[in-house]
Parts: sequence; C-alpha cells; structure tokens
Amino acid sequence: MTDFLNFLVAGLSRGSMYALIALGYTLVYGVLQLINFAHSEVFMSGAFGSLIIINTVVGRGTHTLPWYGVVGVLLLGLLSGAITGAIVAWTLERVAYRPLRRRGAPKLAFLISAIGMSFFLSELAGKMFNRLNDNNFPLYFSPNRHILHLGGVYVTLPQLVPIVSALLMMVFLDRLVSKTKLGRSIRGVAEDAPTAALMGIDIDKTIARTFIIGGALGGAAGFLFGTAFTVSNTMGFIPGVKAFAAAVLGGIGNIRGAMLGGLTLGMIEAIVPTAPWGSNHAWIGIQWTDAVAFVVLVLVLMFRPTGLLGERLGRSA
Amino acid sequence: MRTRSIAHIGALSLIGALALAGCGSSNSSTATGGLTSGSSGTGGTSGGTYTIGFEGPLSGTNAQLGINEVNGVTLAVNQANAAGNLGFTVKLVKSDDQGDPAKAPAAASKIIQNTNVMGVIGPSFSGATLAVAKNYGSAGITIVNPSASDGTIQTHHFPTWHRIFPNDYAEGPAAGDFLARHAKKVFVVNDLSAYGAGVAGAVAKELKKKGVTVVTQGVDAKTTDYGPISQTIVNSGAQAMFYGGYDAQGALFAKALSAAGYKGIAMAGNGVKDSVFETGAGAAGVGWYFSCGCQDATVAPSAKQFTADYKAAFKTDPGTYSSEAYDATNILLAAIKKAAAAGTVTRSAVNDAVNQTDYQGITGHITFSADGDLPVGEGTVNLFQDKNQKIVGLGDITKAK
Repeated sequence: MTDFLNFLVAGLSRGSMYALIALGYTLVYGVLQLINFAHSEVFMSGAFGSLIIINTVVGRGTHTLPWYGVVGVLLLGLLSGAITGAIVAWTLERVAYRPLRRRGAPKLAFLISAIGMSFFLSELAGKMFNRLNDNNFPLYFSPNRHILHLGGVYVTLPQLVPIVSALLMMVFLDRLVSKTKLGRSIRGVAEDAPTAALMGIDIDKTIARTFIIGGALGGAAGFLFGTAFTVSNTMGFIPGVKAFAAAVLGGIGNIRGAMLGGLTLGMIEAIVPTAPWGSNHAWIGIQWTDAVAFVVLVLVLMFRPTGLLGERLGRSA
Repeated sequence: MRTRSIAHIGALSLIGALALAGCGSSNSSTATGGLTSGSSGTGGTSGGTYTIGFEGPLSGTNAQLGINEVNGVTLAVNQANAAGNLGFTVKLVKSDDQGDPAKAPAAASKIIQNTNVMGVIGPSFSGATLAVAKNYGSAGITIVNPSASDGTIQTHHFPTWHRIFPNDYAEGPAAGDFLARHAKKVFVVNDLSAYGAGVAGAVAKELKKKGVTVVTQGVDAKTTDYGPISQTIVNSGAQAMFYGGYDAQGALFAKALSAAGYKGIAMAGNGVKDSVFETGAGAAGVGWYFSCGCQDATVAPSAKQFTADYKAAFKTDPGTYSSEAYDATNILLAAIKKAAAAGTVTRSAVNDAVNQTDYQGITGHITFSADGDLPVGEGTVNLFQDKNQKIVGLGDITKAK
C-alpha cells in the first residue's frame, strides 16, 4: 500500500506539470479553435529563461540554501519562467497567427504555421545554448530531503513543489476566467467571437491576453520540469505531446478538463505500468508507460468522444 | 460539428509533426572541405589527397560521445598531415547521424557517395552500426569502429567491419563479476537500445551464473522521469543496480535514484561514462561505477603524449573513446599508406590492409580476427568511478576489490 502511495505521489507531481502545459493548449483552442503546436516550445523557453536568471542569481553548482533562499529561488524561477513563456507566446501570436487571421487564412495554415514555429524555436534554442543535454539548474536544495514522511510514504521537495504551485496556479486561473472581466471576455470570444465583438469586446486583445496567460502557465511548468529533470532544446516535444493528449482527455477547450486530464494522465502513467506495486515483476512494466497512456486516451475517447468533461471553454467555467 | 472537424485536423497534423520530427534535421556538418577533392574518383595518384569519413552523433542528446571521437580523429589526421610522411594528404569528412539508427543510412550515404573516401571511423553507436555496416560493406569502404560495443555485431560478418576494443560481451561479464562480489540481489535496467540491452543482458547472464538474484526492466531512452523505476528499485531491496544506456539518460536516472533514497551500489556501462553524466547528475552521480573496455587517457601512461596534444588542440581533456578514435584513425591511415606503397589505393586494397593490421596503439595491441572483431580475450576492461563529480579510472576491473 505504501508503495502504491509513493507511485501516486510521483504521478500527481508529473500530472501537475502536464496539467499546467495542457491549460495552454486548451485556452488557445477555446478562443481560436487552434491547436497551438508551438506551445511545447513556449514551455521550453520558460525553462531556459528561468535557468538563465537563476544561474545568474544563485550561480552554477551546488549551493544548498536556507529555507527562505529555497522559497526565493522557487518564486524567482516560477516568475521568470512565466514571464519568458508569456513573452514568447505573445510574440508567437503576433508573428505566426495574427497575420494569418487578418487575411482570413484557412485553419490548416495556422497549424502549419504552428508546427513551423515549433521547429524554429527548438532549433533556435539549440543554436543559442548548446544541443547537449547538460543544462542543469543549480542544486539549491537537497533533493533527498523528505518534506512529509508518513509510514513508508514520503514526499520530496522536487515532488511537492510542482503539485502545490500547479494547484495554486490552477485555482487562480479558474477564478480569473470565471470571475473577472478579462475572463468574461475570454469566455465570450470562445463561445461566439462575432457576437462578442458586437458586444464591444476587443477580440485581438483578448486573444493576445489568452496567449499570455497560457504562455505564463507553460513557462512556469518549464521551470518546474527543468528543476525536476533537465533543460534542453528538445525537452518540449514529449511533455508537449503528453499535455496535448491530457487536454484532449479532459475535453479540449475545457479548463477544468485540462486540469483533470493532466492529473489523470500523470497518475495513470505512474500507477498502471508499475502494478503490482512493490513486487519484483511488474505486470506491464515501465517500458510500456507511453503505450499505457495512449491506450487509456483511446479508450476514453471511444466512450466519451469529447473527453472526460466535454469540449467548449464558454460553458465550463 | 465545426469544432470536431478541427480537432481531427489537429490529430492529423500531430501525426504529421511526429513524422517530421522523426525524419527531420538529419542534416550533417561538413568538415574542412571534405568534398573538394572528389574529382579523383578512382583513388588518385600518389602524392594526392585521400579522404576518410567519420560517422557519429555530432548533435542531439548524445553528441558528447561523437565530439570526443571526432576530436580524436581530427587530431590524428592533423598530426599525420603535419608530419608529412604519408606521401599523401588526408582530408576528413564528418557526417552526423545523431546516434540514431533511423538517421544513420542518410549519414552513411553522404560518406559513401564521396568517391574519394577510403575508409570510415564509426559509426559511434551500435544501433547505427547495425543499420549501415552493410551499406559501407557493399560500397567496399572499410569500417574501423572505435566505440560501438554491442556484442552481436561481429556475428553478422559484415564484409568490411572492424572493431578495436573489447565488446559488451567482454565488458558485461566483467561488470557482472564485479557486482557479484558486492551484492546478492541486483536490479538490471536497460534503455531498450541495441547497446543498452546488449550490455545489460550480458551483465544479467553473468550475475545469474554466479547465483545472484537478478531483476531486469527496460526503460525507453526517451523517458525523462525516472521516478517510477527508481521507486521500483528501492522497493525491490536490491543491493546493487546496473544501467545499460547512455550518458544523458544515466544522469537523469542518477538524480531520480538519489531522490528516491537509493543507497546501494550503482553501476553503468561505457555509454554513461562521460562528462555529460558528471555535470548532469552532479552530486547524485558521485559513487557510480562504470565498466568500460576503454582506457582513461588522462591517466594511462601510454597516452600521455596524446593527452597533452589533445588538450592543446581542443582545450579539454580527452573524453570516453577519444583515444580509441585516435588509434582507429591511425590504423586506417597506416592501411592507406600500405596500399599506396603496394600500388594503387582503392577501397578494397585499403580494406585488405586493415584486415592485416598489427598495431601497437595508445589503447593497446590491436589485431583483427576473421569476423573483424578484436580477438576474444584481448583487451582490458577497466573500472571507473565518479568521485566528486569527476570520473576517474580505477584500473583493471578483474583486480578491483
């Protein structure tokens, strides 16, 4: 049982990151009916942005900081990741999508543009930094420090940080979309853009802000992923595909769906292939993790074609 | 309905993106004008220019191994050209396969199509070697392999393939013996690549022979989250673990193992033994052991001059397989020289000369058996350990305590 719970914690931590990235896909899909495939590179940019800032402030190598230092670094990392992500996402919208929208390009053109930007950003990062997989955050806390230790279940700092920060950001986003004026205009554009425009909502501004919000969440996720694993110019691809799957699993365009989909996918990945937990021979085996995740996705879509919570941003919040 | 059809387009284009990512960016970087002398198609006259190829990962996550090797090759070529006693000039053409079997054929054909190429150093990786050794063979280009350690390559009897160091089947049992001296239960993990599965399989086989309980699992090399497998290892109560895979993934694995509270012995094959592991794993990698059919050029007495030259040329210490690549290049150059002395330099004449190699290099004494491999029992497997985030040689693994 304790083994199961340990895997569950690992899955929640992974799922929180998927959920944060998935929100970026789902928000943009909500307002534009566009899968922003360059979002995985927004995530990657956030990781590099925070890496540069933190390496400048803390320095490379190992500097075990006191607790307030750790909190400071975490806040700085989340903030710098979010700002970088927001800037990249906003630029992306201005450069790759808005000109197409102005000219009334077909939806397919947006997708090609998105894929092109994705390759461009990934290769640009490879050119600017190096292509090796050795960009690492300084080790500013002991990764083995257990925050909680109940029986055999333990939670380490690198596991807890994504869960807590993702939860806070998701609650904040949920409130933002359902309670504020900006949120109302996002929902308005998502539900019916021409009518929203007639009601005095500036569509371009709303879309740009949606990209900024999604980019900030993705960039912050990039920081969390980078501290837990590694930073490289190709780091965005797999989490990006997984988060897209998570968004579809929860119901694309649905904010709470993306959160639920991300957490579900993360937990399925951690729990299903490792069953029965704690014994020597797993029934499925960890090498089948990706297969398990996508089989579950297919099964869910067979019985609920619009995902767990259904599509449409407008209706959800 | 409108939104649904767009979701379909999304799914389709996702597949497209995956396909593009799969075959995209397999481009390669050309070395110092490798194609300039391509006019002399039949091999040129004596005193002319001959080209040798290098195929290995020069970009991507495994690029460090390729860079270690290409530096060794470049050093050997530059030294030979500077000494001027070959009777001809050597050029190097580099081809980047990213260590990926899927990208290796394109990288190989770039070398094969250059008619002035007389031999190739590489491919660095076992999977890539298995994918293209036949192509080089049918083009008649001799292959001198400095690092592809899979223990099955020689069984394919590729016509022009040679390897200058002991393979996984020599490295694996040695590593297994070492672990059997320290543990009663060992968890063996591999990255499902030709090399990783090969070395891990050889370790597991040897451990079982010694009566050690073995648990094996595979983890795909694209994984970033080694949390679940680390947790599984800790739960299993194994006193030691062995990882067959490559450096960047090994570093992530080391960090996850440390976070999961693993206290036992951690060991990996030669693919992990690299500076990418040192910096990537950081403190989490300290204490890891490595087996390698290679030498530590920075401590081996025979490689003192090489290490100094390498450092002067590239401002860094030689890495894993730098000295092997250097030896392999010198073997190839000696073969071209021999062919030139005997008459015309053709691809097949060079291959014949490589077959007859009897060479004392900085990594040891090198000859080739009929299957192209180093003769069984030749070569030494060394033990290495990460001490203070620096991998140092501990000497012959059979003598290690």
